[in-house]
Amino acid sequence: MLGRGLKRKLSDYEENMAGLSSRQLVLNMCLTKLQTYKMLVEPNLHRSVLIANTVQQESNCCDLRSAEDQIENSLLIVSDDDMSSAISSILKDLDFVEDISPPTCLGAECVFGSFEISNSTSYLKDLAIDDIFEDIDTSMYDSDFCCPPLMPPRPPPLAAEEPLKTFPSCNSSSANNIQICRTDLSELDHIMEILVGS
Amino acid sequence: MVLLPFLNYRFRKMKCFSRYLSYIFRPATSILSCSCHTEADIISTVEFNHTGELLATGDKGGRVVIFQREQESKNQPHRRGEYNVYSTFQSHEPEFDYLKSLEIEEKINKIRWLPQQNAAYFLLSTNDKTVKLWKVSERDKRPEGYNLKDEDGRLRDPSMITTLRVPVLRPMDLMVEATPRRVFANAHTYHINSISVNSDYETYMSADDLRINLWNFEITNQSFNIVDIKPANMEELTEVITAAEFHPHHCNTFVYSSSKGTIRLCDMRTSALCDRHAKFFEEPEDPSNRSFFSEIISSISDVKFSHSGRYIMTRDYLTVKVWDLNMENRPIETYQVHDYLRSKLCSLYENDCIFDKFECVWNGSDSVIMTGSYNNFFRMFDRNTKRDVTLEASRENSKPRAILKPRKVCVGGKRRKDEISVDSLDFSKKILHTAWHPSENIIAVAATNNLYIFQDKVN
Repeated sequence: MLGRGLKRKLSDYEENMAGLSSRQLVLNMCLTKLQTYKMLVEPNLHRSVLIANTVQQESNCCDLRSAEDQIENSLLIVSDDDMSSAISSILKDLDFVEDISPPTCLGAECVFGSFEISNSTSYLKDLAIDDIFEDIDTSMYDSDFCCPPLMPPRPPPLAAEEPLKTFPSCNSSSANNIQICRTDLSELDHIMEILVGS
Repeated sequence: MVLLPFLNYRFRKMKCFSRYLSYIFRPATSILSCSCHTEADIISTVEFNHTGELLATGDKGGRVVIFQREQESKNQPHRRGEYNVYSTFQSHEPEFDYLKSLEIEEKINKIRWLPQQNAAYFLLSTNDKTVKLWKVSERDKRPEGYNLKDEDGRLRDPSMITTLRVPVLRPMDLMVEATPRRVFANAHTYHINSISVNSDYETYMSADDLRINLWNFEITNQSFNIVDIKPANMEELTEVITAAEFHPHHCNTFVYSSSKGTIRLCDMRTSALCDRHAKFFEEPEDPSNRSFFSEIISSISDVKFSHSGRYIMTRDYLTVKVWDLNMENRPIETYQVHDYLRSKLCSLYENDCIFDKFECVWNGSDSVIMTGSYNNFFRMFDRNTKRDVTLEASRENSKPRAILKPRKVCVGGKRRKDEISVDSLDFSKKILHTAWHPSENIIAVAATNNLYIFQDKVN
């Protein structure tokens, strides 16, 4: 999608750029104001709400813009992000934080958005543990196979009984292996949760 | 007598203007201002009392100045009903909120008079956090002939007193004193923007950004919360209260306006907490006028009931609207105050002028409405004839008892001689506060630190 090199008329481009620059100008002003208000001891609730609503509406309008505009809008990423963080911090100071979700269709954010760690967390959660390992032959670890639980180590038996001995040892280690596998997965879940902050 | 031919000529000339209004205003018979312009002198509220005899102003420095109209005297007919200073007092002082480490401004946001019930006058004045009830009373007699002290106040030697006498009241120079009778504090977390006295004369309400409280005049340590729009989760806050007022006759009814351009009418009989409105007034947005600033300019800065109680008037950044209480879906009248600013909204946003809160007022008969603008201009709209006029509150053009000349803002290319172009407007000279005498055509206009009082020429 990016870098497709769309041809457009110069007049269209200029119009878009003019419209873009005035929007950019106003959004930058919003950012400046919010930052100024943030520096005040007691920010003005009325003005903050009005500006926050205006920016919110503008970002909603942005969502509705056509795909072609995404490229131009990529120029606005920094200001929108800065604005979001400025709005968040000022509203936090005012004892509230307004939930301004970043626009979903802006250039670099699209790239970042597609990474979408949050989805992969649920991906891990949704799948049963067994499915992950369906490629691996787990017949040795099936519960049908009668293996006694972990036994204390015994002195090596007679040679005739040697083949049998491997099983208990295998079983104990396989039980351990399953334990270890299950532990790893839950730890991975846990780590993913921390990373995504969900 | 010298004036008569002058007036005739003026009248004739003004007739083309008088078609706008049935009366013509003379410029200030009194211009009252401080010689030095400091921040503290900026007038922040203006209000006539119920008879129009008194006019109160509040300023940024927390002072209240009350003017009284002179009685008409046959000896000096030309000084018919001029307003002179009657009383001055410091209503609010700057305070410091130690809990939040914030300074509380002493600026008087609103003054509201109580109807007169005895010889004294009572008014409510409020800053951002505290409402005070002031008693203004006259003293023109003083007792003389005390037994235990002499006329200078020095104590007499009791052993020297041989006779007893009864003190008598003797006239003295008039002294007007203002005493704080009640202080209504600690009820508002956010900034108070409105106060309104109820028609029962026993209660009043105070409104801040998110809450409205109902008070009894006698009780200062308790107030009832009647409106609360603070969301449980502050992340969801999108609207604040901007103004509130009681109905002039129905003591159970009040309205409040919001930053989203809506008005809610509430009935206190339905429930203790009036979070559910009885009526909701909102005009659907005109999509052709949609812009980045639509939300901001739709915020209502003032709401006023008509004297009849049948209509409400709202002021947003560019317009004044009159609503019929019986029709919620749109206003019955819309007046453009300064539509030429619509193309300048970006600059006005930059210099914060777009957040200016203009007030609006009705005349005594509800036939004319008035509101302020920039460049010390103020506008009047006659609801019956649909005429409007722009006047200027300025020293330069006002000779005493000359007639005010209507002004005009030129939008397009060709500027006529007396017109002023949009780009020449002075946005630092804004008229936010005006007041209209309850029964006569006398108006008070606050222009920064100057108060102009204009009177009707027709008599």
